Amino acid sequence: MLNIQKKESTSLLEKFIFPVLPPHLAAIIRVIPAAQLAYLMEIRLRVNSPLLLVLGSADIMLSAVGHIVNDLDAAYLCTRDDINKILQLISKNSLYAFEQELKMGFLTINGGHRVGLAGQAILDGGEMKALKNISSLNIRMAREIKGCGDKVMPYIISRENRLLSTLLISPPCCGKTTLLRDLIRQISRGNQEFRGQQVGVVDERSEIAACKNGIPTVDLGPRTDVLDGCPKATGMLMLIRSMSPGIVATDELGRAEDVCAVREALNAGVSILASVHGRDIHEVLARPYVGELIQHQYFDRYVVLSDRPKVGTIEKIIDSKKCKILWERE
Amino acid sequence: MWLKLAGGVLVLVVCSWVGFQLAARCSGRPQHIRQMVSCLGSLKSYITYASMPLHEALMQCTQGIYGPIADFFHHTAELLEGNGGLSPQQAINTVLGDMQGQLMLKQPELEILSILGANLGQMNRQEQGNYLTMIIEQLEKFEGEAARLRDLNTKMYRYLGICGGLAIVILLV
Repeated sequence: MLNIQKKESTSLLEKFIFPVLPPHLAAIIRVIPAAQLAYLMEIRLRVNSPLLLVLGSADIMLSAVGHIVNDLDAAYLCTRDDINKILQLISKNSLYAFEQELKMGFLTINGGHRVGLAGQAILDGGEMKALKNISSLNIRMAREIKGCGDKVMPYIISRENRLLSTLLISPPCCGKTTLLRDLIRQISRGNQEFRGQQVGVVDERSEIAACKNGIPTVDLGPRTDVLDGCPKATGMLMLIRSMSPGIVATDELGRAEDVCAVREALNAGVSILASVHGRDIHEVLARPYVGELIQHQYFDRYVVLSDRPKVGTIEKIIDSKKCKILWERE
Repeated sequence: MWLKLAGGVLVLVVCSWVGFQLAARCSGRPQHIRQMVSCLGSLKSYITYASMPLHEALMQCTQGIYGPIADFFHHTAELLEGNGGLSPQQAINTVLGDMQGQLMLKQPELEILSILGANLGQMNRQEQGNYLTMIIEQLEKFEGEAARLRDLNTKMYRYLGICGGLAIVILLV
C-alpha cells in the first residue's frame, strides 16, 4: 500500500507540482525520500521564510540542498522572486486570466491541486478588488483515493435506492474533498445493491473534478455532469434546471446564498451531497448562515472527519432526523 | 571595351539595388508599424474580453497578417509556451534579437516593444487594456513620423542609387 502511495506521490509531484516550481525548488524537494513524500500534504512558501513541507500533521524545513533541518538558519529561505516565478509559471504569464481566482485567494492548477495565496489586498469601495505583493503560497496536494468512501456509502443510501442528503463536516485539510470525490464516483457508478444515479457537480474552485478545458481529469463516474468554476449558489440551481440530476454535489458551503440554494434544491426533490468546514456539528451550528443547515435539519446524514490519527479519518456518521450516531470511531 | 561596359553596368546595377533597398526599408517601416498596431489591438481584445492566456492571444492576434510581424508574434508565443520559465520581456527580446534585419523597425519602436514585454501578463485585464492602448498610441505616433519620412525619402533613395551609380561609372570611365 505504501509503495503505491509512494509512486502516486512522486508521479503527482513530477506531473503537476514540479512544472510550476522554479527548477531549484523542485531540485530541493526531489532530494526527499519517496517514503516521506508519500505523506506530503502541502508545500508552503513565504517570502524570507523557510520552505516548508507539510507531511501528515507535521512539517519539515529543508536546506538549500534538500536536507531536512531543524535550525532556521540552515533552512532555505524563499525569496520574492521564487513566489513571483511560481505565479508566472502557474498563470503562464497571464495573471489577468486569473483575476477572479486571485480575488478569492487561490488558484487551481492542473490535477486539481489548489494554490492558496496571501498578500496585500487592494480594496475598492470596501470590497476586495485584487491581491498584490503576494508573499505566501500554499500548494495543497489533491489526491484521488478510490474506495475511501466505502465505509460511508451504506449509511447514505436509503432503502428506496435514494441518496440521503449528506453533509461532510471537517476542519480544513482533513480530506473532505477527497471523500466527496469518491462518494460522487461511487454514487454515479453504482454497485450491486445501488443503481448509479445522475450526479451534478458544482465545482466552484475546480478542485473536485480538476477539469481541464471543461473535462474532468479525475474519475467521477459515468453519470456525472460538472459545472466548472461556477459559484455554488448559481450553479446548483442552474444544474437542476438544465441537467435534471438526482443528486447535486458541491464543496465548502459557507455563504448565505449557498444555504438558500441548498434549501431550494432540497425542495425541488434533489438530494444534496456537500461539505462544510467545522470540527463537529456544534461548531457548524455556531457559524453564520451554515448553522441554519443544522438547525433546520436540511440534511439526513452528517459525516464528521478528522486528521487523527491520519487525514481522512471518519469520526462519526450521524442520522440528523433521529439525532442518532449510526457509526463512531472507537 | 566590353569589359569596361560590363563593369559599368555592374556598378550601376549594384548602386541602384542599394538605393532601392534603402527605399524599401523606408516604405516598409510604416507598414510594419501599422501591422504591429493592428496585432496589438487584437491582442488587447483577446486579453480584455476573452481572458485568453498570453501565448494563445499572441498566436491568435496575427490573423490576416503575414510576414515578419506575424512571425514576431508567433515566435514569441512559441517561446513562452515552450519555456514556462521565460518572462514575456525575455521572450520578446530574444525574438527581436533573432529577427534582426527582418523587421524594418527603428530603435524607438524596438524600445517600445521591449517595454511592452515588461508589463505584459502582470496586471489585471483593465490595466492590461490601458497599458496596451498606451503602447498602441505611441506606435501610432511613430507610424505618422515614419510615413512622413517615407514620402520624403523613398524617391530620393531610388534616384540617389541610380544617379550615384551613373556618377561612379562616368568617373571611372
